[in-house]
Amino acid sequence: MSSGPDAAGQAVKEKLRALRRLRRLQYLLWVAILGVVVGVTYWGLGFIGFQAGVVAGRFPAMYEFISQGFFPPDFQNFTVYTKENEITGLQAIPASFRDWGAPIFESFRSERLSLVKASLVTLLLGFMGTVIAFPFALVLGVLGSERVTPFPFNFLFRGTLSAIRAIPAIVWIFLYIPIGPPSQITAVLAIGTDSIGNLGRLFTDDLEEIDEGPIEAIRSTGASGTQTVSFGMLSQVSRSFIAWTLYILEINTRIAISLGVVGAGGLGLMIRNSQDLFQFQRTAAGLIMVFVVVLGIELISSRIRARLRPGEHDSKGVVEAVRDLADGSKWLGISTKR
Amino acid sequence: MPTIEFDDVTKVYGEDTVALDEISLRVSEGEFVILLGPSGAGKSTMLRVLNGLTDPTEGSVGVGGAEISENDSDVGMVFQEHYLIESKSAFGNALTGALSRNGLLRSAIGLHSEGDKLTALEALRTVGLLDEASQRAESMSGGQKQRVGIARALVQEPEILLADEPVASLDPKAAREVMRYLKKAATEQDLTAVTSLHQVNIAREFGDRFLGIRDGQVIFDGDADDLTMEQMDRIYYGSEATGDSLTTDPTGTDAVPSGTPDPSVTADGGDEA
Repeated sequence: MSSGPDAAGQAVKEKLRALRRLRRLQYLLWVAILGVVVGVTYWGLGFIGFQAGVVAGRFPAMYEFISQGFFPPDFQNFTVYTKENEITGLQAIPASFRDWGAPIFESFRSERLSLVKASLVTLLLGFMGTVIAFPFALVLGVLGSERVTPFPFNFLFRGTLSAIRAIPAIVWIFLYIPIGPPSQITAVLAIGTDSIGNLGRLFTDDLEEIDEGPIEAIRSTGASGTQTVSFGMLSQVSRSFIAWTLYILEINTRIAISLGVVGAGGLGLMIRNSQDLFQFQRTAAGLIMVFVVVLGIELISSRIRARLRPGEHDSKGVVEAVRDLADGSKWLGISTKR
Repeated sequence: MPTIEFDDVTKVYGEDTVALDEISLRVSEGEFVILLGPSGAGKSTMLRVLNGLTDPTEGSVGVGGAEISENDSDVGMVFQEHYLIESKSAFGNALTGALSRNGLLRSAIGLHSEGDKLTALEALRTVGLLDEASQRAESMSGGQKQRVGIARALVQEPEILLADEPVASLDPKAAREVMRYLKKAATEQDLTAVTSLHQVNIAREFGDRFLGIRDGQVIFDGDADDLTMEQMDRIYYGSEATGDSLTTDPTGTDAVPSGTPDPSVTADGGDEA
């Protein structure tokens, strides 16, 4: 009789010991992982000849280079107008806004390089690359999903996407050399190709995670196969597809800048040109423009994406999302209690 | 004339999981049939076989005199979890019921015929959601979503209406309301309806005929008066629980408020008196 509770107590104690052993094992595993990470890093530094002391010794020179070379930023290349009238430094910005910004629009039309035109080119490269990629990514991404294409065949499309994705845009632009040297034209193609891989893969992964229920419901209405894909599946992910596309647009704006450095035009090209001429104050102006352009796209895109995420803001459509952009406090993440 | 015919229908999942065991039955036009039985008894499989989502291993299933085909649009289905497209409006969801009548291109760009749009709005009116037609599904309550699910099935213009545990995830008040609309839809459009339910008291209020399913077999077939406590025990706990319940004097019926009238109906009657 009395052995009952005793046996139960024994079982509990035994379980506690087992849990403790498991805990210790997990702890050891984490220590081992940390050890491997630190070990590989240390070995890697030696392998590439990285000497921390030498790098640290160069810091004063680095500081001097930036503090004396970059300041004050020179915006003389801001518009064609400031270039011609030799308006330098920060004054070039307000000067470009005279006559309701006429110099800016003039620069857009001009053949000559200017920071505002380069910014526009960079934005357009990212935008057009994304637009070109979207339909291809949609088709390949949907066909790559196991939900749409039966198992072994979907890997045909998945493989294509992975292969495209493995090659970065900066390599694609050199692969397109038969079409032409690195330029704005091949940059759009390179960004577009790269994005097909990235966006298509995101689409495929999204489709793998959708609920089976609505698909079955649509199928049970007697809808055809394509209708089931379109209404049961795509309508479940349409908003998240838009969100991913905006995210890729953000990334593409940055890629456009790096392609510019290898000759594709836009802000990247202007930064490299000024560096080649040791006009580091103009490089600084270019970097500030990069900052403004990239951050601008990122803010707009991330605000719209936040609105598109289901659940977070119930039944907010794209229209409301765009309208919310006018609300300053939302940009800074300040909640306005109503 | 029977609209639903099961002839020796057997369904085996995998190697030896028998979900349906040689079921034969007839359901007449306009009947409101409720399937009762414990989880895993085979109720869902019966419904899935009826709308062609699953093929029977043996035997044949007929609807309206014809053998059931895959994804038949003659069969409307209401699911336990509404299964709506959350980002679409009630109207948009109801319209998906008309897909089988539309080409993909037309429906993809939102070009439904005027007739289908009217059918969809009519269906939403039937379930009392005409005013909420443009509201997105994700902002609706569970009961409202389920009613949109009923509307979607109605837009198919089906011959029979199936519902698999349509109120299992709703509170009792919403559950009654959804059942009331389901019954109303079936009555207004002369539909034969088959619904599986867990809530026995709700089942009694709405069903014309009850089928007790246990271990893949129909072990009870009758109306609310036949559905005694003993029969309920037999359906849910098996014959060993109550012993020889078939021969038990059915005086137990009195203990069960069989066919309990809908409280709201009683209240209305009182007002008129």
